[in-house]
Amino acid sequence: MKPLLHRVPRLILVILALALFGVVRAPVETRLRDQLVAANLLLPPPGQGAFEQMSQSALMGTLGGLRSLVATFLTLEAYDHFSTKSWDALRQTYQIITSLEPRDESHWVSVIWHIGINATANMELDTKLPQFERDRRFKEYAFQAITLAERGLAQLPESAAIRLQLAEVYREKLKDDCATSRVYGDIIGLPGEPAYARRFHGYFMARCPGREKEAYAYLMALYREGERQHLPTLIKEIQKLEEKLRIPTPQRIPDADPDRPKKAPKPRTNVLPGGIVVP
Amino acid sequence: MSIEQTVPRAAGKAVPLFSLGRVWTIATSTVTQLVRMKTFYFLLAFALVVVAVGNFNIPATPVKELSMIKKVSFGTMDLFAWLFAIVATALLIPRDIEDRTLYTILSKPVRRIEYLFGKLTGVLVVVGTSLVAMYAICAIMIFARESLYLTAEHDAMTASGQYTGAEIQEQLDLIRQQGLRAELGIAVLASFFKASVVAAVTIFISTFASSSLFTIIVSILLFLIGHAHNMAANFWLDESGNSIFVQMLVKVIKILIPNYQLFSFSEGIVQGEAVVSALVWQMGGLTAGYLVVFLLLSLLVFVDKEF
Repeated sequence: MKPLLHRVPRLILVILALALFGVVRAPVETRLRDQLVAANLLLPPPGQGAFEQMSQSALMGTLGGLRSLVATFLTLEAYDHFSTKSWDALRQTYQIITSLEPRDESHWVSVIWHIGINATANMELDTKLPQFERDRRFKEYAFQAITLAERGLAQLPESAAIRLQLAEVYREKLKDDCATSRVYGDIIGLPGEPAYARRFHGYFMARCPGREKEAYAYLMALYREGERQHLPTLIKEIQKLEEKLRIPTPQRIPDADPDRPKKAPKPRTNVLPGGIVVP
Repeated sequence: MSIEQTVPRAAGKAVPLFSLGRVWTIATSTVTQLVRMKTFYFLLAFALVVVAVGNFNIPATPVKELSMIKKVSFGTMDLFAWLFAIVATALLIPRDIEDRTLYTILSKPVRRIEYLFGKLTGVLVVVGTSLVAMYAICAIMIFARESLYLTAEHDAMTASGQYTGAEIQEQLDLIRQQGLRAELGIAVLASFFKASVVAAVTIFISTFASSSLFTIIVSILLFLIGHAHNMAANFWLDESGNSIFVQMLVKVIKILIPNYQLFSFSEGIVQGEAVVSALVWQMGGLTAGYLVVFLLLSLLVFVDKEF
């Protein structure tokens, strides 16, 4: 060993040893990396767009293996944009956050909520802008929220939370009952599906032009499941459809109209008109 | 004038080729050396970070807040671990030369591999202890917040009267999933693996470096390159239109520089993903491989170095 050490320059020996080790470990590391990514333990590389948009410190943090840490601090920065109603800056910040942690559902839900609900609400109220501009921006933000939801669902196809947030945008902001019903329908059967998703799918289908018959059949199926489904909204929606579809009276549900005021209680017999109490 | 008679000395006891006892002695003295440098004071800074993030007042759900506390705590833990591994390791050999402790050690029947191994073990003991201490601080904070959120959420849902027992349980389980779980210990182990490889690479650099500063700068640069080359490779190849030169360069970098990104699997665990024990074992094996190879490379440079 010693003569070899004296004959060959040390630097060459070191480089050769490093290269040999590198050649041996490279396939092992590639396989391990694929397995770690498949097990969701290692994050896939951020998208190219994320690198271009990152500030110098965020980039250094990301390169230094601190993606989660950088994403968390960017979340705080996004909150700052929310406080100052800087919606475009907020969206850009979330674009980086979701590139850094594409599998974190809460980031997608937050950005859809901020852009789809808060930014649009701000456009409804911000009187500093002319009405035309407010309307234009309202639509722009609502559609941006839909695009963000689609991107989130491409990353997390099983996410009920992203769909719930998307449904809220369709329901509250765009008043698109058909799309709302479709999104609630997509939630049914997913992990984390809320109990009301099935009912909401039916309620909004009932309001979607052209789908009344389908909605009636669907809501009646829910009604037949038993007492626990006999909620006021369900009864009201079925009764509206019965009217609309001219369902014969014997086939109609027997429940009273939930909106009809209940009978007033009988006045006490010892109270005379004018509020005079007879002892 | 009398002629002194030289009495031949008795043959010394044969020195074993490798002694774990000697390694341990050097390791314990390294631990003492690092403790005297007041290195554990950074735990105070860590505790402050954890307490600060635990008290951020932003409108978020309990699940999101717990997730945020964990991400910041474990990210900071990871950062402290690798940075500490670089700085502590980079200081050790130059400090021994400066104090002339190295001459005393190497004039004894101590092999150079034992010296290097002892130094590395000492650093790893300190890094491991620091990680355990940081984990304890962070676990207390997570547990406290989790208990608070569980009670608050249970009370609020019960008081509203709108939710069934199963729905309340589901919500509480969601909070528990982001709370203190045994798997988080594996995330600490992942940070330890990363710091170990970083320390092994740094000790190798310090065997030929001219100063501690050089060792620290080069080690940090290597760390960044080792972390980024996988991420940057696609970007470069795309930008250069898959040029042969860039492909070769990427391959050379991949072969010569450790892939640190692989050791960031703690991020997935912190986000609540299930741990695959087979993968953790394989990562442990890879870490051991790195330690052995870089220790031998250090020896190759250090074996007949004159001081």
